[in-house]
Amino acid sequence: MRRIATAVCSLSLLFSGYSLAAEKVAFVPQIIGIPYFQAMEAGGKRAASDLGVEFVYSGPVDTNPMDQLQIVQNLIAQKVNAIGISVLDASSIAPVLAQAKANNVHLFTSDSDAPDSGRPVYVAQATDQGLGETIIDEMVKRVGERGKIGIVSGEATASNLNSWIGFMQQRVKSKYPHITLLKPQYAGGSASRAAQIATDLMSANPDLKGLIAMASTTCPGVAQAIETAGKNGKVIGSGFCSPNTARAYLKSGAFGYTVLWDPEKLGYLTVWAGKQLIDGKAFSAENRVPGFAEPVKFDSKTGVLLLGAPAVFTKENVDQFKF
Amino acid sequence: MHMTSREIALLAIALLAIAGFSWFSPWFATVDNLLTILRNSSELLLIALGMTLVIAMGGVDVSVGVVMGVAAWGVGQLLLTNSPWLAALAGPLLGLLLGLMTALVVVIGRIPAIVGTLGLFGVWRTGLFALLGGQWLSGLPGTLTGGLMHSLLGVPVMAWIIGLVWASVWLVLRHTPYGLWLLAAGNSEEKARLAGIPVTQVRIATFMISGLLCGIAATCYIATYRNVEMTVGGSLALEAIAAVVLGGTRITGGSCSLLGTLLGVLLLRILQNGLLLVGIPSLWQTVVTGAVLLIVLSSEAASSRVFTFRRLA
Amino acid sequence: MTLWRKSPDLTLLIALWLLLAIGIVLLLPQMLASWSITSILQFATLLSLVALGQSLVVMTGGGGIDLSVGGNVSLSAVIGMLALDQGINPAWLPLICLLTGTLAGAINGWLIARLRLWPLIVTLGSFYLFSGLALALTGGAAIAGVPTALTQWGRGAQFFIPLPFLTCVIPAFLIAWLILSKSAWGKWIYACGFNEHATRLVGIPVDRLRLLAYCLSGLLAGCAGFVSLTWLGSARPEIGVNLELESLTAALLGGVAIFGGRGSVVGVLAAALMLVTIKTCMLQLGLNSVWQLGVVGMLLIIVLMAQRLFIYRR
Repeated sequence: MRRIATAVCSLSLLFSGYSLAAEKVAFVPQIIGIPYFQAMEAGGKRAASDLGVEFVYSGPVDTNPMDQLQIVQNLIAQKVNAIGISVLDASSIAPVLAQAKANNVHLFTSDSDAPDSGRPVYVAQATDQGLGETIIDEMVKRVGERGKIGIVSGEATASNLNSWIGFMQQRVKSKYPHITLLKPQYAGGSASRAAQIATDLMSANPDLKGLIAMASTTCPGVAQAIETAGKNGKVIGSGFCSPNTARAYLKSGAFGYTVLWDPEKLGYLTVWAGKQLIDGKAFSAENRVPGFAEPVKFDSKTGVLLLGAPAVFTKENVDQFKF
Repeated sequence: MHMTSREIALLAIALLAIAGFSWFSPWFATVDNLLTILRNSSELLLIALGMTLVIAMGGVDVSVGVVMGVAAWGVGQLLLTNSPWLAALAGPLLGLLLGLMTALVVVIGRIPAIVGTLGLFGVWRTGLFALLGGQWLSGLPGTLTGGLMHSLLGVPVMAWIIGLVWASVWLVLRHTPYGLWLLAAGNSEEKARLAGIPVTQVRIATFMISGLLCGIAATCYIATYRNVEMTVGGSLALEAIAAVVLGGTRITGGSCSLLGTLLGVLLLRILQNGLLLVGIPSLWQTVVTGAVLLIVLSSEAASSRVFTFRRLA
Repeated sequence: MTLWRKSPDLTLLIALWLLLAIGIVLLLPQMLASWSITSILQFATLLSLVALGQSLVVMTGGGGIDLSVGGNVSLSAVIGMLALDQGINPAWLPLICLLTGTLAGAINGWLIARLRLWPLIVTLGSFYLFSGLALALTGGAAIAGVPTALTQWGRGAQFFIPLPFLTCVIPAFLIAWLILSKSAWGKWIYACGFNEHATRLVGIPVDRLRLLAYCLSGLLAGCAGFVSLTWLGSARPEIGVNLELESLTAALLGGVAIFGGRGSVVGVLAAALMLVTIKTCMLQLGLNSVWQLGVVGMLLIIVLMAQRLFIYRR
């Protein structure tokens, strides 16, 4: 019923002509149906109503590059004025950049970057370096400077995850030489596979001190594995997990801490950045964004609009957050 | 007990794998690890059991994983209303219902099983998304977990349930007319009908049983992971088919090997676990699965061509 | 009326297309623009190539199916770029992709035709093998670095038709159509699927035909892998994900019977285009992409039920 209504609305929109063309800002996540991107969508909607633009949220069902590409192309064709994409891979937007320019559509990245594609801005949750280093630093705070830490990642092809892993490895090499960071294992998008891999890692390395879940989809699996193995407190679990997903595990001790940022704010910032691009306003080194307590930094050299520093969630503060 | 050559081969490979992995990794042959392997096999054991029946009947079902997902949603929702018994029962009931719908499409609609279940895979996946409202069902209460993980005589309740289910199916196959009818229908539908076997009812029943097993697997899944996401159960169907075929049940139907399926499931999980323990990156696991499947099948086919007269006997 | 009697599946397909066309004209007139058609054809290129291979395999009967096509496409693309990384002249890239694809298809074909193993299982095993290899060899990362000359071809268009579609898909389908409808080989392929026993008795080399079908399916997958390289500018190890199910859907919607022996490649092309168009329309209407899965699934069930009702009522 809702779909028919949507169709009728689209129809009437068409007939009303493009004279009332509200400016449209879109966000294309890596995959729909996960709470993380859901939160970004909520932030984007809030920004849209604050800034007076229309927000479009459309994403692929699977982390399939073709599907994401098709969605982006469709949005360009629909003359959406600005499109922010959480790219699955750096080469995701390469084929459509020319088309976007020709149609006067601003294509930019958010949440996951394609650094060499010539995009005008990357709305970053935190620097990839900051994220990788924070999660390692916090882990070392809890397990000490010697020991083994395992990594359970999601899709092997996700460039943002791989970038964080790279920085984690660099951090360990430069600052914690007595920590062994095991090679990352990939669980795809499924919690049960993540649990299986986490359990196997713990079996293979009984002296394992920490497990890091890279993707929000692997968080429940890793935590569950630690709980089932009865290693709460012996193996410190962590990951880039949202407070809602991690709450139960932070309280039970399976997770020592998690690192994230506020995806709702990230979504808000994405739409705000889109509006800036549409209005042709350049980003200054420090930008005042409505609803943000601190000014948002912009690095003109790398084109990165930074949301802020990564946030660390623990048993103590997790209840303050609702996402 | 009489074992077919395939079952013996699987057992040999499994033992070889265990020996090999134990040699290269001191952590493999520990009680903890072996228990882990068994625990990781829970859902696949149930789903592959259902798949064995479906394949023995001459069909195939690629939607089993998503059926488990939808059933898991039902279990999760009821768990949120604080009624663990109802939630536990919801799984099998929902599975039964979904199995019935599969049967309607494939048997009554007379669409070839692989195509019909392919279509249903898409429909259920969309259905699960709609039910989840685009979110996850996460952080479910552990009431079910407590119940199913509780140890009875040193073995968790879940393991007892799986064991009981396997025993019941085995008994049904051996000692009821349904078992005979299943194999006859799988062998040749026409001849079975001529012999007076109610083939249509048998096929509907088989899909419903497979659905029921998926539903039980859903309850186990919730108890273990307390989370339902849209991608639940995605690759389970293919893994189940691989396990069943490895086990010796012929894809053309008419034969059935429960022991083979059991060995197939365990072998798959042993390989996945062992490879990780000896340090081979997880990305190579599918390569090994595929290679093992192809090697087992082709070596048997190649050798049976030499001993054709033995096969006829 | 005669078209209905002669090939009801084609009629059904035409009816679906008419419905779709009316829907587009009424609700989404902007889809009739040239860029829209170019976009649809671009996305349909990979699917069409793979669906053609899939339909050839299914048509030869004997439970023929190729679940490994997706993995084949990914592997061909990956091996192509790995070879390039090793310093091989980019001019060899298309050949490498085609060769890898054909070789992979030949493995399937040999196991199925010579060892008489069941296609569903063999291609399941090779699906695991190929897609796993593609991921394992790259460690999950995409391999960028396709020479600009090739990406220009991959992203270019002539008369609103993308170059890869023009130079790969159309000739492939033309050749397939010619062979299937005008040559003895075509009749043999249909015969294989229709009645294997009789075909063997007549002396037609059924096994060799099936081997050929799998090699061709592999060749087309390799071609698709190459096209994906030139279009995306990099080798993505997951590019083939879901292609096996989508190509099977396209083949079945296009009128190819799952048991073999009937079907026309024109129908397959029309079905592949229809699937991509439906996807695009749904996106344009703002419908969540999840609904595509459900719609295509329902379409598959309905079309096959209709086929059952009207066709097999001899």
